[in-house]
Amino acid sequence: MADKDLKVGIGDMKFTRGSGVVITYALGSCIGITFYDPFLKLGALLHIMLPNRADPNDPKVFKYADSGIHETVRKLSAFGMVKSRTVVKIAGGAKMFDVKGNSDFGNIGQRNAAMVKKILMEERLRISAEDTGGTYARTMLLDVATGDVAVRTVGKPEKHL
Amino acid sequence: MRLKSYGDMNLLELDVMKEISSIGTSHAATSLSKLLQKEVRITIPEVNILSYDETVDKIGHIEELVAATLVQMSNEVNGLMLFIFKMDLANAVLGKLLSRHYTSFEEMDEMDYSALEEIGNIIICSYVNAFTQLVGVEIDLSVPSSTINMLGGILTVPIAEYGYETDKLMYINAEFIMDGEKLSDGLLMLPDIESLNRILEKLGIS
Repeated sequence: MADKDLKVGIGDMKFTRGSGVVITYALGSCIGITFYDPFLKLGALLHIMLPNRADPNDPKVFKYADSGIHETVRKLSAFGMVKSRTVVKIAGGAKMFDVKGNSDFGNIGQRNAAMVKKILMEERLRISAEDTGGTYARTMLLDVATGDVAVRTVGKPEKHL
Repeated sequence: MRLKSYGDMNLLELDVMKEISSIGTSHAATSLSKLLQKEVRITIPEVNILSYDETVDKIGHIEELVAATLVQMSNEVNGLMLFIFKMDLANAVLGKLLSRHYTSFEEMDEMDYSALEEIGNIIICSYVNAFTQLVGVEIDLSVPSSTINMLGGILTVPIAEYGYETDKLMYINAEFIMDGEKLSDGLLMLPDIESLNRILEKLGIS
């Protein structure tokens, strides 16, 4: 079972159709975004690390919220995804360390979340569920057969978004 | 030549970093030894410039629960210092200090967390002190901040902080030896690229 899971690394995106699980581990300040078209059973998981791609020639499109979401939508649309029926869920964006006297530090999670929401709105995709913020890392899974999205954290039961 | 990324360091520059790290980590071992009233030895460190995935694999498992202490550097060198405790080192330290032993970080209480944070801070400070003396730079350190979390999540902090500059981390990998047992240490020193250039300049090798 486990070896069939599609693992998404940091700053990467994977998608599949019909069956299988797409998983990304230990989202800290990064954000995991799942896209799921229930009619086609087409699902993608994108793991972004930073809000915007400052250098337009940077080839790592999935590292950034803006270029990552645009590219994912472009790819999935080529496979027939229809935006109006696509279910989008997000998780992550935690603040892992609280540095006293420097409240700006580690706010990258919050900035990521804000950017992801902005870009999804521009793409006219609605977020149907989210689990963001907090101070803990999350593992996110998308079951492509059912569209179920689960979030695992340490010391808490698995949460279904 | 000015470096644009950690990965641009040549063998000579890496060797120098390794030499400095070796002195830094031995200072850290001495402080730990004083604190625990126990002989602590340390192996010669390796300095690795690794990607996020490689660093995670080198230290442990991505979802593994670890404790980490983070200190920010400012002044002539800006950046982060991160010390990661795995269960074996945490137990060795807490066993000696508080006579406690655990199978998981989840069983620990505030007292244990605070002890680990303090030890992480001491290790980082003695490392940085040795470093500043050797290189001849002024470094100010922030108060420590810590967390118990998944290893992968903790390592996203430095990688995201410098994500616009580099995709690499500098992992100083040495082993503490206490009572004949090898304990993994996870010290990451992450100067920003400008500071890294300044360090190499000060050392006269850039």
